[in-house]
Amino acid sequence: MATFLLEIRTEEIPAAALPGARRQIAELFGARLAEGGFSDLPIKALSTSRRLAVVIDDLPTRQPDRSEDLTGPPVRAAFAADGSPTPAGEGFARKVGLPLDEVGRVETPKGEYLAATVVHKGRATPEILAEMIPEIVAALRFPKMMRWGDGSHQFVRPVHGVVALLDDELVPFEIFGVASGRSTVGHRVHAPESFELVTAGRYGAAMAERSVMVDPNDRRTQLETLAEELAENAGAKVHPDPGLIAEHVELVEWPGLVAGAFEARYLDLPPEVVVTTLRHHQKCLVLEDADGGLQPGFIAVIDRRDDPEGLVRQGNEWVIGARLADAGFFFAEDCRRPLAEIVQGLERLEFHRVLGSLEDKAARVGELAAVLADGAAGPDELRSAARLAKADLLTHMVGEFPELQGVMGGHYLRLENADDALWSAVRDHYLPVGFDGPVPDSVLGRLLGVADRLDTVAGLFAVGERPSGSKDPFGLRRAAQGAVKIVAESGWDLDLAHAVDAAAAVVAEHAEGDREELAAAVTAFVADRVRRWLTDVVGVSGDTADAVMAAGWSDLPGAVARAEALETVRSSSTFRSLALAFKRVRNITDGQPSAEVDPEVFEQTEEHELHEATREFGCALHGLLPERRVEEAFTAMEPLADILERFFVEVLVMCDDERIRDNRIALLKELGRNFMNLADLSKLQVEGGDH
Amino acid sequence: MDLQTLILSLQRYWADCGCIVQQPLDLEVGAGTMHPESFLRALGPEPYRVAFVQPSRRPADARYGENPFRLGRHLQLQVILKPSPDDVQELYLESLRALGIDPAVHDIRFEEDNWESPTLGAWGVGWQVLLDGMEITQFTYFQQAGGIDLAPISAELTYGLERIAMFLQRKDSIYDIEWGGGVSYGEVRLAEEREASVYGFEVADVEMLRRHFEDWESEAQRCLEHDPPLVIPALEATLKTSHLFNLLDARGAVSVTERVGLIARVRRNAVATARAYLEQRESVGFPLGSELTGGGEVV
Repeated sequence: MATFLLEIRTEEIPAAALPGARRQIAELFGARLAEGGFSDLPIKALSTSRRLAVVIDDLPTRQPDRSEDLTGPPVRAAFAADGSPTPAGEGFARKVGLPLDEVGRVETPKGEYLAATVVHKGRATPEILAEMIPEIVAALRFPKMMRWGDGSHQFVRPVHGVVALLDDELVPFEIFGVASGRSTVGHRVHAPESFELVTAGRYGAAMAERSVMVDPNDRRTQLETLAEELAENAGAKVHPDPGLIAEHVELVEWPGLVAGAFEARYLDLPPEVVVTTLRHHQKCLVLEDADGGLQPGFIAVIDRRDDPEGLVRQGNEWVIGARLADAGFFFAEDCRRPLAEIVQGLERLEFHRVLGSLEDKAARVGELAAVLADGAAGPDELRSAARLAKADLLTHMVGEFPELQGVMGGHYLRLENADDALWSAVRDHYLPVGFDGPVPDSVLGRLLGVADRLDTVAGLFAVGERPSGSKDPFGLRRAAQGAVKIVAESGWDLDLAHAVDAAAAVVAEHAEGDREELAAAVTAFVADRVRRWLTDVVGVSGDTADAVMAAGWSDLPGAVARAEALETVRSSSTFRSLALAFKRVRNITDGQPSAEVDPEVFEQTEEHELHEATREFGCALHGLLPERRVEEAFTAMEPLADILERFFVEVLVMCDDERIRDNRIALLKELGRNFMNLADLSKLQVEGGDH
Repeated sequence: MDLQTLILSLQRYWADCGCIVQQPLDLEVGAGTMHPESFLRALGPEPYRVAFVQPSRRPADARYGENPFRLGRHLQLQVILKPSPDDVQELYLESLRALGIDPAVHDIRFEEDNWESPTLGAWGVGWQVLLDGMEITQFTYFQQAGGIDLAPISAELTYGLERIAMFLQRKDSIYDIEWGGGVSYGEVRLAEEREASVYGFEVADVEMLRRHFEDWESEAQRCLEHDPPLVIPALEATLKTSHLFNLLDARGAVSVTERVGLIARVRRNAVATARAYLEQRESVGFPLGSELTGGGEVV
């Protein structure tokens, strides 16, 4: 058993590419080694910003021998009548490397055959690795590949060295014009000298001595521990930021930290501005007090052990001071004019060539929001709010920090003493992003949020900018998802299908095709997002979602409740039987006209029984559904299972007497209508469903 | 270190590394990459090493001289090393020593930052180089220019000179940087920044700019249709359209959709110019050579 090491040393690899690179290289090695007969090996993929490595412990130094059972020609074909060998017999003997008289025989139903077991000797592991590695490396894929130098090689960044050792033995091959060897280098600042690795098993230790921590997990632990220590020394806490830590883990070879401070006066800026500057622009960890209040300090991650002359801290403090001053400058500039004045410029910001300016959009959003509000707020108020919601796009701050859209509008309005309802709605109306994050707190925020997104979706559909496949340049799927989430999570009794219609109506004048086609396309698009909400977020299976949506999804919170209830009950034998029975009901009644049921025409007790049960079920729904007591409604459905089964056994619906037949169809139709208040059970895929 | 010493030190250093020290392109451009020494020399097999300062105009970034960190015209020092040598990162780090920055006591990082110029049909991959959290250089391996895949690959280093000077001098405003001989950056350039802002945001004649865009666009095409094509005049005419576009943009006269169309028109001529350049060099047998010289060698 030996330890194998491969290290590919490069220039700095993009942080975002490294987790995928480690995953790929481990998978590729695992697969290729398994093909070679090596299995269940602990493959460790390691990396720093400047190297990608694989360490495999307990690798046999030879490939295991592999035996193969070969069957040759029938014995009677291998020997002539006089017992002398035929060419076929001799051929097989040559193939298995034995004299013909030593070749074994095997009895089969088709007679006796020549047979032999051939042992393929395993090859030396380094030989196999030397063949395998260039292919594995060539199979690695990165989000963006590049060429360098003479342009003949392609990888994520230029390659400078390759180490490949099985214990102390060199595994010889060449990739990217670089021959494998045993030399590598340590940290760029602390140990830049080239050195030879004696043996693969020493890799981690030898690199650590040279200030390179090759295991990302070790770097994460060190970062988190050091950050906590530093924060504690500063009497503060680190604002948890796993995403940022994960990025820094990939950006360094040896993670170090420096704590720095900025002038407390910048804490007068909106906290989001300070946090955006520190986190997004400088990738610093943010410090806060016990109550989550921002502290005038930060922690910067550095790629070195120390800050010997304090220059790294000073430099970071200077940069952050400058960036905060820059943000302060924008804030002061923006505050010179009220948002109500700034908003005049909206007509200069184009939303879309055909759909017009953001001023035009705000007008549409206001109009649509008024429909959605159903009288709860006036159209003038809503239109004015819709305009103010977009006003911060004209501010210096959002021009510089686009991620603060909404947030800045909220702050500026609050500072102008606007109503709480207004500034919080403006702040929140971009929430959530797709299905992620919280929804707006206020009614006004939700109104603007849904109206804005439906207008965007309907508008861009109208002018032919519809998403297809992976192409969704305007983020319409995310927009529709945001609207769906707002309605579903807030329990809003909005008629969503009607809202979509209204949105289509507002943009209809821009539509290329006819208005009905537009409304239908947008409705189908939103319905698809509703289905995704049910399957991905509520967590029901696809056919449950289909069954529930076939019974209507316009009342979204109601559809969610029905989906959850159906998902719970559907696995019972009662519901399997109901689903099968309902498929029969649909098969019989689809396309048939509705009619009044006449109990006088019934001939069999099962008809009376089903009629009574249907009526009872209908009454139960009448009481339960307005209160969204859907679980009870599904429970009320259960007695129908046995009754329907008896009905279909005893009653021939399609009998010859037309009057009796139509009455029976009418009965099943009435039952179907009741069912369809909850779900179209025929959409459920259940065992025996093909009958 | 004052601004002019910074420039002189970098020029001296890169001259010692085998670069010819070129002069700025005498046209308005948004970045050093538009200099023919960068955009055109990157094409084809001929090795080349060059360094030059390029005043770079971005009218939309102007701030009436009121913002201490923003300029409508800043200075880039650009270095092109073709083909990119194996030790290009080390050469770069050594250049910082020439500025009195000792990498051994600073935190120097290469963080992914890819570059793309839609108007030039060019892109590359690389990093922004951060010194103690401050972006001081853009480091790019050109992959494509004028829509043409490149081989050999050039390394392009772009130093943001004012920023580096601010950082080295620990100044809170660009205008307080010492340019040289006791004269400040503000004393040299503040008035110009103010006027350029007024002109770019308020005064520039939109109709005239549009007209000239059309004029120079067709002039570039005329140069390309000439037999043989006039490569540098075509590029210069194209760069004028690029600058006119930037002015129109700063003036708020370009809508989102029109923007895409105008950029495509500039790119069309840039791409055609790149092709014409390559044909021209090929027709004279690539006089600077097509053998690859390998790393570290002086061209």
